[in-house]
Amino acid sequence: MLRTGTTAGGGGTKALHTLEFRGTGSEFFRIWIVNLALTIATLGIYSAWAKVRTTRYFRGNTFLAGHPFDYHASPIRILIGRFIAVLVLLGYGVTERISPTVVVLWATLFLFITPWLLVSSLRFSARNTSYRNVRLNFVGTISGAARVYILLPVLSLLTLFTTWPLVHRARDYYYVNNHTFGGKPFRTQFSGWSIYAIYLTALGLLLGVGIVAGAMITLMTFPVVRFGPGSQPTAEAIAFLICAYLTVFFLLAAVRIFVHAMATNLAIGNAVLDGHHELRSNLGAMPLAWIIATNTILTFLTLGLFYPWARVRLVRYQASCVALLAASDLDEFTSEVIATQGAIGEEIATFFDLGISL
Amino acid sequence: MKVSGTYFPSKSSRAIAAHAELSQDAVLTITAEDGAILTAVPFKDVRASSRLGKLYRCLDLPGGAHFETSDNDGVDAMFRAAGLLRRGAFIHRLESSLRWVAVAVLLATISATAIIVYGFPAAARWLAYETPRPVLAAISEQTLSTMDRLSLGPSRLTATERAKAKLLFDRVAAVAANGRNGYRLLFRNGNSLGPNAFSLPDGTIIVTDQLCRLVKRNDELEGVFGHELAHANRRHSLQMVYEDSLIPVAIALITGDASQFTQIASVLPAMLIQSSYSRGFELQADDDSVTMMRHIGADPSALGDLLLRMDKTLCGKDGCRPSWLGSHPATTERVARLRTLANSSR
Repeated sequence: MLRTGTTAGGGGTKALHTLEFRGTGSEFFRIWIVNLALTIATLGIYSAWAKVRTTRYFRGNTFLAGHPFDYHASPIRILIGRFIAVLVLLGYGVTERISPTVVVLWATLFLFITPWLLVSSLRFSARNTSYRNVRLNFVGTISGAARVYILLPVLSLLTLFTTWPLVHRARDYYYVNNHTFGGKPFRTQFSGWSIYAIYLTALGLLLGVGIVAGAMITLMTFPVVRFGPGSQPTAEAIAFLICAYLTVFFLLAAVRIFVHAMATNLAIGNAVLDGHHELRSNLGAMPLAWIIATNTILTFLTLGLFYPWARVRLVRYQASCVALLAASDLDEFTSEVIATQGAIGEEIATFFDLGISL
Repeated sequence: MKVSGTYFPSKSSRAIAAHAELSQDAVLTITAEDGAILTAVPFKDVRASSRLGKLYRCLDLPGGAHFETSDNDGVDAMFRAAGLLRRGAFIHRLESSLRWVAVAVLLATISATAIIVYGFPAAARWLAYETPRPVLAAISEQTLSTMDRLSLGPSRLTATERAKAKLLFDRVAAVAANGRNGYRLLFRNGNSLGPNAFSLPDGTIIVTDQLCRLVKRNDELEGVFGHELAHANRRHSLQMVYEDSLIPVAIALITGDASQFTQIASVLPAMLIQSSYSRGFELQADDDSVTMMRHIGADPSALGDLLLRMDKTLCGKDGCRPSWLGSHPATTERVARLRTLANSSR
C-alpha cells in the first residue's frame, strides 16, 4: 500500500496522494439488492438507472487528495443504448438461422465496428467521469483502436505471438495516452524489455502449471459426456474431478492475474499527467489473486449474496495501490467544452463483453 | 440554513473551502471561509445529484461552478425548505430502510429461483426446438468426433451382429416421431465407457459393442433404442447445452458486469450438469421408451433388466451407489418405475 505524505522535491513541494475507496460492502449490498429488485419488478427497464447508481457509488466513493470522483451519465441515454443493443442482439439471433453466410456477414460487421464500439465506450465512460469539477476525456481515434486491436494482433500472429508483449504495450499506450483530464494529457512510456520480462516470467509459471495440469487432465478425461442410461460416475470421481478442475483453473487464473497486475503497474506507474504529476502503482499479484479467489468461493457459497462485499473488497485493494505524486495542489485544471454523446456504443460493447481496461 | 463544503469556480479545479446558505427568498449564497461572497444564485437553478449512500452531494450551479459537501441531510433540508422535489429520494429511502431491503432480498431470491428452476429450462427447451437442422447436424458431428477422439473406438461387432441390432433399431424408429428414415445407428467400441448408448440431437444413436453383447433379449435392446430415440426427439442434450450457456448470461445480468467472477463461476454448474442428464430428462425418456415398446408389442420392463446388468458391469457386484446430488435417478428407482409402468399397460 502507498501512503500519503509530502516530500520536498527539486522544484517545489510534491505530495503523494493515494487513491482511497470509502464505500462499504453492507452499504453497497443495500443499493445492489434494491437495484436488482427494481430491475426485476420493471422487467429490466430500471437496469439503466441501476447501472448509473452502481457506477456513481464506485466513482463517488473513490477519493484522491480528499475529493471524490463523480459520474454523470444519463440513465435515459443508457436505456436507449441498451434498447438498441438488445435489438442488434435480436437481429443477430433471428437472421443467423437463415444461413451460415449470414453469420459470416455478422462476424465481419462486428470485426469492423469493434474499434468504433471500443472508442465510444471509453469516451462515454471518461466524459461522464469528473474530479473536482473537471471532466476526464478520451481522445483515441477509431483507426488507433483498429491498429492495436486488429492490425497488431494479426501481425503478431504471423510472428507466432512472440511479439505479443509489444501488442500489450501498444494497447496500454493507446488506453493511457489518449485519456486527458481538463484537456491535459496522460503520458506513459516504458521499455519493451520490461513487458517481455513479465511475459517470460508468466511463461515459466505456465510451464510449471502445465506439468501439474497435464497429470490431472489425463485423469479427468474418463468421464466424458455421459448420455447413456444407467452409468453414473461415483461421488469420489466427481469430487476429485471438481478439485482437479478448480486447481488447474485457479493456477491458470493466477498466472493471468500476475500478468495483469505487473503490466498495470508498468502502464500506470510510468504515467505522468500534464508532464509533472506522476502516477504510482504497486498492485501485488498474490494479494490480488487471493482476493479474487476468496471472492469467487464466497460468492458461490452464498449463492451470489456475497457479491457486493466481493466487489467492494477488490476495488478497495485496487484503489489502495494507486497514487498520484502531485507537483501542485491540483488547482490549475480547467474543464474543456466537451459535447456529450449517446451510450449506444457503450451499451453494445457491454452486451458483447467488449469492455476494456488495463 | 447552512452547509459547509468545497466550492469550485466555473469549470475550474480550484478548491475553495466554503459554505452554502439558503436565504428566505430562495437564493443560495456561497461564502468562502474568509467571509468573501463567491456567488449567489436562485435556488431553483441549482441541480443536486441524488442521494446515494454516504456519497458527497454535488450542487451544480448555473455557469459551471460546483459545490460539493458531505452534509447530505443539510442539502435535503434545503430542498425541503424550498419546497422542491429531491431527485431519487424515494430510491434512497428504499435503500436505507431495513424493511424494504428485506423485501428486495426476498423478491430477488424468489424471482432468481423461479428463473433458474422454471425460466432456464423453458428457455432452453424453446431454443432447442427452434434450432435449425443444419446447426443440429454440425453440433452432432462435432460431438461425435470429440467422443471418437477421446473415448470411443471402431466397432468390432460382426456384420451379423450389426444387422440384427439394426433390424431392432428400425422396428423402434418406425414408431418414433421422425419415422424409420429420421435416425441413424452407429456402432462403436466403448473402451473405458463399457456398455453404454448415446444420442446426439440430430437423431444419431451410438451403441457400444459392450452393450450389444450384454443384451440377453431383443426387447432389452429395443428398450434402450426407445430411450435414446426419446432423448434425440426431445433434443435433451441440446437443452442441457443451452441451459449451461444461459447461466453465465444470467449472472452477468444480475451482477451487472461480466468480469472474472462470471468466467470462473460458470464452470462449476456446467461441470455438475454435464456429468449426466437431469433427473427429469431420464424419466421422460424412460416413459417414452415404454410407450414405444407398447406400440411394437415389446416388453417395456426389459430396459430395466438391462439397466441392472449394466450397473453390475460398471459399478461392481452390488450395483451403483445412490445418486449424488440427486441429479441422476438411482437405477433401482428407475427399474421399479419401468416395471410399474409395464404392469399398468397390460
